[in-house]
Amino acid sequence: EIEGAPGAPLDVCCQEANKDYVIVTWKPPAMDRGSSILGYFVDRCEVGTTHWAQCNDTPIKFARFPVTGLIEGRSYIFRVRAVNKCGMSHPSRVSEPVAAMDPADRARKGTSAPWTGQIIVTEEEPVEGEVPGKPHDLTVTEATRNYVVLSWKPPGERGHEGVMYYVEKCVSGTDSWQRVNTEIPVKSPRFALFDLAEGKSYCFRVRCCNAAGVGEPSEPTEATVVGDKLDIPSAPGR
Amino acid sequence: AKKFAVTEGKHAKFRCYVTGKPKPEIVWKKDGEPITAGRRHLIFEDREGYYTLKVLYCKQQDSGLYVCAASNALGNTLSAVHLSVKGPAVRFR
Repeated sequence: EIEGAPGAPLDVCCQEANKDYVIVTWKPPAMDRGSSILGYFVDRCEVGTTHWAQCNDTPIKFARFPVTGLIEGRSYIFRVRAVNKCGMSHPSRVSEPVAAMDPADRARKGTSAPWTGQIIVTEEEPVEGEVPGKPHDLTVTEATRNYVVLSWKPPGERGHEGVMYYVEKCVSGTDSWQRVNTEIPVKSPRFALFDLAEGKSYCFRVRCCNAAGVGEPSEPTEATVVGDKLDIPSAPGR
Repeated sequence: AKKFAVTEGKHAKFRCYVTGKPKPEIVWKKDGEPITAGRRHLIFEDREGYYTLKVLYCKQQDSGLYVCAASNALGNTLSAVHLSVKGPAVRFR
């Protein structure tokens, strides 16, 4: 027990679990022991193992965090620690286990061994330049000073096979678009961005790609300011 | 294994329906070797949920035994087909 360190955070819950990220939420500790909370650290542990890994390098101010880098289909538990100028709290009670999978997959209850049907082969006429169209309905579903979550809808029929996505960002008022996921395109129509500069305003857009090439970008989003509409949760009773 | 034939220069699309929970991991193989996605090999799940391998612009050397192998924590299984790539049709005048 560190003198003056905050109490442990409470009620750690998982929301919006899917195969790309799980949004973890919690409540501030009942006691801040006189000095205000500087932020939180989220830890995760794969169910069946005893290895706890810290998810964020710098403390999060807002009591909500999308945990990325999970393995699809595996189940995880989470805990949170609070920090003030005196030091770190004990970890919270752990969350209920949550599986990193899309809601549709979770809905199919039970477990079963794999089964594969007969493979059907068809011949197709090569079509030149099946570059995919634009993704649409791109929206910022969450924005805080630590992260921004985007989601969108896949393009129409044209060249939709094997479509993946590149996310681009641009500081508002400039015209220089930067690719965010430079290495690998993402497969699902959503993305969580970290490491944006606080106080700056950004626009985002998304492009589809497939074997034929990279398509036109979607309509950009409205400018989004990195900073909290949702600031540090106030301590209870204040 | 069932035999299929496609014409040289055309695309061959392999579709396989897979069930299992947790969602199985799928590996496509040709003559025992795993296929990696690349410029001529697209691997994806199509809109109806079929696992799909598409070999673009087939060459003679794409002939062989293709396997779709599925595995999860409870077990593994596979389906196989034989593909032969025929030379382009000769036109008689």
